[in-house]
Amino acid sequence: MINQDFVRQSTGFYRENSRSRNFWRALHTDPPLLVGLILLCCFGVFVLFSASDGDEAMVRRQALIMLVGMIVMFIVAQFSVHFFRRWAPSMYAVGLGLLGLVLVIGVEENGAKSWIDLPGLPSFQPSEMMKFIVPMLLAWYLASRPLPPRFKHLFWSALMIAIPAALIVLQNDTGTAIMVFMSGVFVVLLAGIRWRIVFSGFFALLLVSPAWYLFLAQEHQKNRILTFFDPYRDPTGAGYNIIQSQIAIGSGGVYGKGYGNGAQSHLDFIPESNTDFILAVLAEEFGLLGILFLICLYLFVLVRGFYIAYAAKDMFSRLLAGSITLTFFFYVFVNMAMVSGLLPVIGLPLPLISRGGTSIVTLFVGFGLLMSIQTHGRARRT
Amino acid sequence: MTGKWQLKDHEAEQRLFNRRLTAGALVIILLFAALIAKLIDLQINQYEYFSARSDGNRLHSQYVPPARGLIFDRHGELIADNQPIFNLTIVREQVEDLDETLEFLGTLIRLTDDDIEQFRNRMRRNRVPFSSVPLRYVLDDEEKSKIAVNSHLLPGIAIEPQFVRSYPLKDLTAHAIGYVSEINRDELDRLTEEQRENYGGTNHIGKTGIERTYEELLHGTVGYETVEKNNRGQVMRRLDRTDPIAGKNISLHLDAKLQVAAEKALGDFRGAVVAIEPATGGILAMVSKPGFDPNLFVTGISSKDYSVLVNDVINTPLFDRSTSPYPPGSTIKPFLGMAGLHHEYVDYDYTIEDPGYFRLPGVSYRWGDWTLRSAIGGGHGTTNLQRAIFQSCDTFFYDLGNRMGIDTIHSFMSLFGFGDNFALDVGYARTGVLPSRDWKLETRGEPWYPGDTINSSIGQGYMWATPLQLATATAVMANKGKVVRPRMLRSVDDVMVEPIADDYAGDVVVADADYWRYIHESMTMVVHRPTGTGAFRDYGGAYLTTAALDKEMPYQMAGKTGTAQVVAIDQSIRNSDDIEVSDLNKDHAWFVSFAPSMNEQVEPKIALAVFVENGESGSGVAAPIAKEIIDTYLLDILDIDFAALEEQAVQDVNLISQADD
Repeated sequence: MINQDFVRQSTGFYRENSRSRNFWRALHTDPPLLVGLILLCCFGVFVLFSASDGDEAMVRRQALIMLVGMIVMFIVAQFSVHFFRRWAPSMYAVGLGLLGLVLVIGVEENGAKSWIDLPGLPSFQPSEMMKFIVPMLLAWYLASRPLPPRFKHLFWSALMIAIPAALIVLQNDTGTAIMVFMSGVFVVLLAGIRWRIVFSGFFALLLVSPAWYLFLAQEHQKNRILTFFDPYRDPTGAGYNIIQSQIAIGSGGVYGKGYGNGAQSHLDFIPESNTDFILAVLAEEFGLLGILFLICLYLFVLVRGFYIAYAAKDMFSRLLAGSITLTFFFYVFVNMAMVSGLLPVIGLPLPLISRGGTSIVTLFVGFGLLMSIQTHGRARRT
Repeated sequence: MTGKWQLKDHEAEQRLFNRRLTAGALVIILLFAALIAKLIDLQINQYEYFSARSDGNRLHSQYVPPARGLIFDRHGELIADNQPIFNLTIVREQVEDLDETLEFLGTLIRLTDDDIEQFRNRMRRNRVPFSSVPLRYVLDDEEKSKIAVNSHLLPGIAIEPQFVRSYPLKDLTAHAIGYVSEINRDELDRLTEEQRENYGGTNHIGKTGIERTYEELLHGTVGYETVEKNNRGQVMRRLDRTDPIAGKNISLHLDAKLQVAAEKALGDFRGAVVAIEPATGGILAMVSKPGFDPNLFVTGISSKDYSVLVNDVINTPLFDRSTSPYPPGSTIKPFLGMAGLHHEYVDYDYTIEDPGYFRLPGVSYRWGDWTLRSAIGGGHGTTNLQRAIFQSCDTFFYDLGNRMGIDTIHSFMSLFGFGDNFALDVGYARTGVLPSRDWKLETRGEPWYPGDTINSSIGQGYMWATPLQLATATAVMANKGKVVRPRMLRSVDDVMVEPIADDYAGDVVVADADYWRYIHESMTMVVHRPTGTGAFRDYGGAYLTTAALDKEMPYQMAGKTGTAQVVAIDQSIRNSDDIEVSDLNKDHAWFVSFAPSMNEQVEPKIALAVFVENGESGSGVAAPIAKEIIDTYLLDILDIDFAALEEQAVQDVNLISQADD
């Protein structure tokens, strides 16, 4: 640290550089992450414009939500990460309370009863908040325990993850439940849980899954699994989405059909072309090169996230940053794999590309936390 | 390490975290690699396949139906036209609640239960998803605007224009021209694979008459177009098009004016008229009365309208009388007489003494002459063949027929087309019966008796002939034995139809050509031999009802009356007290004729058969009808100035004789 200070002060070149660095640090903003996010947002809006068949109102709304997300990110970044650490248990308690409340007075929308509409307040989804509160709590809990975590710590960790995830499943919002669950699991994985526990858990899941399929799975879940293995068993029903999506991707070829020329999407063969299946539109119009470009953009953001986690100065920050980054990847990968037929269809949007509302803002809260970790840790120490 | 609180080893924990982070990064790289491999498989390896699938999704080939050929009469007057109509159609997949929609439509436009039932039938047939199915044909302007105003409440409902057949002459041509109507399952099954392809875009097919006979000519060749459709089946763009080839326009020998005149001449009677141009065999008029409006069938006749047509057992408007057999009665006497002359059973001088009846030797049964059943009574006295024809003496022909025998009658009469369908393109015409020993054995399982021959000799008994057959035979008579087969088709796309090889049926050749003159003369006397009002023995002709009423008649016509006993009436109808029904017992009236006859300048222009159902009297009812039709044809339509021609001929003769001097 002292060494660094010396370098900064010793040469004019670094002084110039460090001045701009200090400027961004004062704003609590991480320029590389910001650039990556802006590029992703622009590309997303660009693709959405074609996917929505030139629906300007929809595109404008999406851009506005992204702007709101950026502002939220900026505000979140102003708080020191230690503020969040202190408040994590309280926020978790409040979050659980709200999830309980949703079950009682929640408002249903799109089949999921996940909204709270209190008089005088804008309506919101407590389950979205849990996407960052759960990893925060686990990071808070495990960071102060010796690592790798002991079995009893793992037990409590599992409980901390399972309770909100179960409550969200009860809201009939499996997609969000999976995300909340995974965001917690990533913290535990990063905290150094023993591999043999991970693998035995994995094998146990493999062994249990046939039993789940036979006795517990609901009809539509079974259908999704069967359709994943053979979309053509019901080409106009359950398999329709994935078949049309694969046709769109495959017919895009290497270079794509050109912007706005995607026949599959513009003739409405791709269902949910604005949301979950927007990757098919992109793949059809921009081809393999377009997808590779998108993957590069994502990788850029991921690499920066990894760097922030790596460079963070305390275990809470490391665990939180690592979990946020891995969760973001999980999001990206699950959607891409689902649309291209590598995974069964799960209703998850492609982050920052698909049309969305609250979920976009939630993503930016995560990025705000990353920026907070990157900028506050150091500022405090100098 | 042993207490509850362990000392945290920050260095070791950070190393552990970093290892986990590295593991995470590796997993990310692996998973992205897997994803990219999958994408390469889809977008490079399977590119061709998915590209084709994508085109298959959006590109659809659809049929473009050809315009049906028009039908004209010999003067170019339209008999069958194509008219645009507007149909209400439904795309089932776009309608949320069909019953509700139908109910709502019922409040906007006229929609009968029948329409709805027929719509459901059409729905049940094999149909392409997202295709439109007609619910109501022929919307009027008010209905169209009501639908248009409410279109936002009616998703999946559209108004589609379509060209359909229209028959401007309506009832007049119902039987001869026939009609088109929706193709049914049976008809589709009967088509070959190739034909079915050709009917891909066609809703209608010729069901009867000319429409059916010349279906292939009239239909044309289907066209195709490639369109881009969206997920809901809506056409977004037209990409490629092969135009259909319209059906050929055909014109017929039929003369619409004469058709009108024939129908009018029949008046209130049920009956049929067939007129043929002897030189060509062209059918000038073919009327069956009553007819029906063929336009009703084009867009699907309602079951109410249909039951009215079907249940009219007295008028039977759907029944084509012009091609259906009846006992021909005395109309066959000229042909039998010719047989007698040719086979030398009679000559010009042969006479019989007619007591009013005929008896077979050793048989007590008497075959009475028609005079016995009338006020005249007592037979025709001394009668030769000519008198036997113009007075229609039954006894003479009983005797002649009996002496000739059925074999001779059969072989000679068949030369004139009796018992056969000589018509080239009226394939649906019945053949009637020209009885023979074989025929009776085959159909009745009985041998031929001499009495059967006697009944047949006056066109009763087993002898049956259609108005078309009698007109054909009369045309052969007018042609002095030259057989021309009757035909409807005159030209295709303005190219005259040349006679085809099997056109020729073999002419009737008789021993002495003067026999033709003799029979023509006898038939002309039927119309023109004056019957003095007081002259007791002059009767049986049609003079009083034709030539006598038209002293200025500029031409002569040959004819023969016929009055045929009604056979085979349903007993329940026969016993009815209804006055109209009791009329059904009355005899059928016939008149066959050709004109002009015995004319040096003008060959016969028209040969016809008039059949009047329950008309009672050939001379009283059928003959005036025939004269009216012939008048119209010769004097109005052909506009022949017989007096001028006569004068010209006289002058020519004078010139020749002067030149000889």
